[in-house]
Amino acid sequence: MNTDKPPYLGFGLGLRPQHYQEILSGSPAVDWFEVISENYMIPGGQPLAILDQIRERYPVVMHGVSLSIASTAPMDKDYLTALKTLADRVGPKWISDHLCWTGVHGVNLHDLLPIPYTEEALDHVVDRVGQVQDFLGRRLTLENVSSYVTFGQSEMTEWEFVSEVARRADCWLLFDVNNVYVSAFNHGFSTDDFLHGVPRDRIVQFHVAGHSHEESHIIDTHDHPVCPEVWDFYRETVAHFGPVSTMIERDDNIPPLAELVEELDVARKIAHEVQDSAQRTAAE
Amino acid sequence: MTSLKELQESFQAGILAGDDAILGQVKDSAREERTVLFGVYRNAYVARLAEILGNDYELTHTYLGDAGFARLVKAYIGANPSDQRNARWFGRHLPAFARTTAPFANHLEVGEIATLEKALADAFDGPDAAPLMIETLAALAAEDWPRLTFQPNPTAIRLTFTTNAADIWSALKDETAPPKPTHLPEPQAVAVWRQDFMARFRPLSPEEAMMWDEAAKGVRFGVLCEMVATFAGEDEAELRAATYLKGWVDTGMLAGCQVEPG
Repeated sequence: MNTDKPPYLGFGLGLRPQHYQEILSGSPAVDWFEVISENYMIPGGQPLAILDQIRERYPVVMHGVSLSIASTAPMDKDYLTALKTLADRVGPKWISDHLCWTGVHGVNLHDLLPIPYTEEALDHVVDRVGQVQDFLGRRLTLENVSSYVTFGQSEMTEWEFVSEVARRADCWLLFDVNNVYVSAFNHGFSTDDFLHGVPRDRIVQFHVAGHSHEESHIIDTHDHPVCPEVWDFYRETVAHFGPVSTMIERDDNIPPLAELVEELDVARKIAHEVQDSAQRTAAE
Repeated sequence: MTSLKELQESFQAGILAGDDAILGQVKDSAREERTVLFGVYRNAYVARLAEILGNDYELTHTYLGDAGFARLVKAYIGANPSDQRNARWFGRHLPAFARTTAPFANHLEVGEIATLEKALADAFDGPDAAPLMIETLAALAAEDWPRLTFQPNPTAIRLTFTTNAADIWSALKDETAPPKPTHLPEPQAVAVWRQDFMARFRPLSPEEAMMWDEAAKGVRFGVLCEMVATFAGEDEAELRAATYLKGWVDTGMLAGCQVEPG
């Protein structure tokens, strides 16, 4: 199994069909692209042909939404085979999905559903991550999700659960800055506790995204620009973890590419400021 | 303690069937009651699937209008919980659902417009294949032609419509007023396929449709010519068959040919 830590890629965007031509005809200031794995688990045609062209020009990572790693339903071998086939074609720098479940009894709810943070769930997830990693022949990267409910039976915090999954299953983590912010607000925990509660050496990617504030709770909609509070938390995150491949997620109300590139520049600027400040501190 | 399996079953029933048992397992937050918080998942489920269907059946949506399409989508989602990891395939039963479920089944053109949209989407990301080139046919010896068989492009789909759904679709696509739905005196044959990266369709005459269907089954060109002669007269039957064939080759409807032995 390939256990090398994935490389630092810089600042990336999600590959969206609205931007295909602009990406291929220009050279947008994007260091890498993340693709939704399922969007390319198709027989053929233009989307796969374009992905072939993009991967010749940019590093690509694959991000899935329906691995359903925490589901108690049997592992879906057809899905895993399709994932591996796509990975063989794309050559992603890493493959990620979410620390969640998406359905049971053959149903897929097309949502990232929360897990009770129990020893039972931990054992279950660790076992399943092991199966997936053995099948793919590489480490999996798992992302913390936004959640709206907590379970009475939870026995540990989310960051303890995430950390234990990473340690025991020997997988990588995708630290979703917005999701930590959203869940912290929804469940009343401190973003700093989460930030300091997960292992630095396991983090290979950051997600930053916009959300919808409903006053009593926040919904992770990915349909807005990143808000100042999430940028502030991104600044703290970069200061804590150091340089980590960063990507802006936009899945709805998708603006022109130039607008997202500008937003990506905000991330770049913050990361550089944090780095400069750290170097100055070290020099003093 | 409720097992993880039971908890997930209860959570799913809470979303799919509105079952409230799960509310006993989740907590209120400091700012909000659990019914509202769990409601985020309930709302997201329907909203997400409706969005998927809206993207997949854009012109069916335009034809029915927001309220009509919302009725169709709600009924479909209720009857077809997604069994697919890939949202791309969630709506695959919608055309059949619209054709067979009241009140949509009373308007046959609705199911047929959806059928055409689905076929175009399936052709768009269907399997890749190099097209049969005219040069390949030109290089064949004259005596080989009767034993020639053809492979359709793997994205090719043959449809038969009983209404003017194809004309309605074309008008909607052009953003012009669609014609009134009508039941056609004779069924209309339509071929859908992908040429290069473009999903296309066109009506076929009854004779061309017959020849295409037989060619797709692997019937030899010599026999196809005889069938064409039987279908609409021997006069210039071979020329008609060759014209159809050239049209298929020119537009990428075929992926290959071979000369059968004997």
